[in-house]
Amino acid sequence: MVAGVCFVICSIVRGAFARYFFLNLYVILSMCADLIRQVVLRFFALDSPQYMYAYFYTDCLLTIALFIAVISLASHVFAELNLTRYVRLVAVFLLLGTAGFTYAVVAQSTDLLATRFALELSQNLYFVGLVLTYLLWGAVLKLHETRTRLVQMILSLGLYFSAYAGSYALVNVAPKYETVHYIAPILGCFLPISWALTIMRHSEEARLTPARLVAVPR
Amino acid sequence: MSRKLGALALALGILVGAMELKTLLATHSNTVVIMANGVSPVPKFPPPSN
Repeated sequence: MVAGVCFVICSIVRGAFARYFFLNLYVILSMCADLIRQVVLRFFALDSPQYMYAYFYTDCLLTIALFIAVISLASHVFAELNLTRYVRLVAVFLLLGTAGFTYAVVAQSTDLLATRFALELSQNLYFVGLVLTYLLWGAVLKLHETRTRLVQMILSLGLYFSAYAGSYALVNVAPKYETVHYIAPILGCFLPISWALTIMRHSEEARLTPARLVAVPR
Repeated sequence: MSRKLGALALALGILVGAMELKTLLATHSNTVVIMANGVSPVPKFPPPSN
């Protein structure tokens, strides 16, 4: 929560709020969701249906916001190639495709259909975001992107997604160990902290120095 | 038109890749779920009844 507030304040102070609006939106929504979950948890138990509904629906909303944040970073990367329109088109196809695929998977369920749909959509979109971030990493390398802020934000997003995928695998491999279940909530702090550090440490004009070409004697 | 088809093909490729990755990571999955957002504890989801 503190890291999220810090990121939003830094964005406003450094004049980057509008430029990285969807990242800020995700962090703000994440804080609101945490607040809602804590309020529900105060009145109802962890295993109660009320908390389950509050958690899974807010999570679905947050994953959609995170997906849009990834797409906004992709738009920044491809803006110089005038491919922003096609990035948005891919995003719409992906969102609709994921929703359709998820519905096809959960349509057989007879109970809690909407909640199951929200849960599955959230998980599927998360993996779509993971693949998209890796593609974005590849594009950043290929296009020799030098904008420090953009590169660091994409890198931290990739690390965050990878760490979650790792913890997902770990929970599936060793579900009996209680400690692996705490990895995911701890990782939840990573993204706002890394983005806040990026905004604080680097200005929009900061550029990375590309690696020098090595002259090889014939 | 070809660019639109390219966008569609790319979206399908990403979707297939993402679902493959999910299947790969959750090969030995029981009903364990893990969520990607926030620091709140994850509730247990009831297994499907059918």
